[in-house]
Amino acid sequence: MEPPQPVTVGRAVEALDLGTCVSADPEALIAGAQVSDLLSYVMAEGQRGQVWVTIQTHPNIVAVAGLAGMHAIIIAGGFEPEPETIARAEEEGMGLFTSAQTAYLLAGKLYELGVR
Amino acid sequence: MDTRRLAHHEFPILGRAYFLGGRASTSVKQVLREAGVDDAAIRRIAVACYEAEMNVVLHARSGYMAVDIYPDRVTIAVIDKGPGIENVDLAMTPGWSSATDEARALGFGAGMGLPNIREQADAMDIRTAKGDGVQLFLTFKREVTDDGAPPTGDSGTRG
Ligand SMILES: Nc1ncnc2c1ncn2[C@@H]1O[C@H](COP(=O)(O)OP(=O)(O)OP(=O)(O)O)[C@@H](O)[C@H]1O
Ligand SMILES: [Mg+2]
Repeated sequence: MEPPQPVTVGRAVEALDLGTCVSADPEALIAGAQVSDLLSYVMAEGQRGQVWVTIQTHPNIVAVAGLAGMHAIIIAGGFEPEPETIARAEEEGMGLFTSAQTAYLLAGKLYELGVR
Repeated sequence: MDTRRLAHHEFPILGRAYFLGGRASTSVKQVLREAGVDDAAIRRIAVACYEAEMNVVLHARSGYMAVDIYPDRVTIAVIDKGPGIENVDLAMTPGWSSATDEARALGFGAGMGLPNIREQADAMDIRTAKGDGVQLFLTFKREVTDDGAPPTGDSGTRG
């Protein structure tokens, strides 16, 4: 079986049909993902270059993703980020996307795309 | 131990202002990057600082974070005014948390903050008494180059 192709942020945004609140470098390679709504868990496990799927919407998620060096946050389940969350993502240059799909489906699609 | 202090910074932390939480830690990360501290150390320090900062935000009234950069290490002090911790052993137990339902709904309160800090830091000293706030002192070893001098200047990429 062929090894999965590297997946860029741009490709994931297109394939998962994500809404863009704050864009991220579309050429950046996704180095794995986290699916969790517990901030301390993501702070401990999140790695540089990953994307984070969560239903949390408050500005602290941007701090966590930024400190972990992640590329982007995907807010699942049809939730919308708070205005301060968008402002902080813009300030820190953190990608912020939304989807009406569940975290489960988004994670499955990321995996299917080749994100490991 | 090298006693030459290369830089000192302090950043305030506001209790209860969860939406501002992480600002002090983000500032610390920035000064470490500017000082040329290695990425691996920066990551460990960032994780620990964030957890300590959010503990002040969630459990105390106000505080500050001080960072001191030495050639071979970085020290962090997080000092708060708040209720203090009555039983430190209990507080250090993974999964134990006194967080409110409101904080838990926001994704805090996994009881992982202090255990995370202990895992990331090379040395951790916590001083507290009930009603007296918490003083947390952390030491992180940094990578030193062959000639004993830390790499200087802007060390490249974000993240
Ligand atoms: N600065 C502080 N002032 C007062 N109490 C604190 C402080 N820091 C921690 N505690 C107490 O220790 C407990 C455990 O802290 P810890 O950071 O491990 O977990 P948490 O903050 O409850 O949850 P998490 O960090 O996973 O979001 C807290 O619930 C709180 O009771
Ligand atoms: Mg905590």
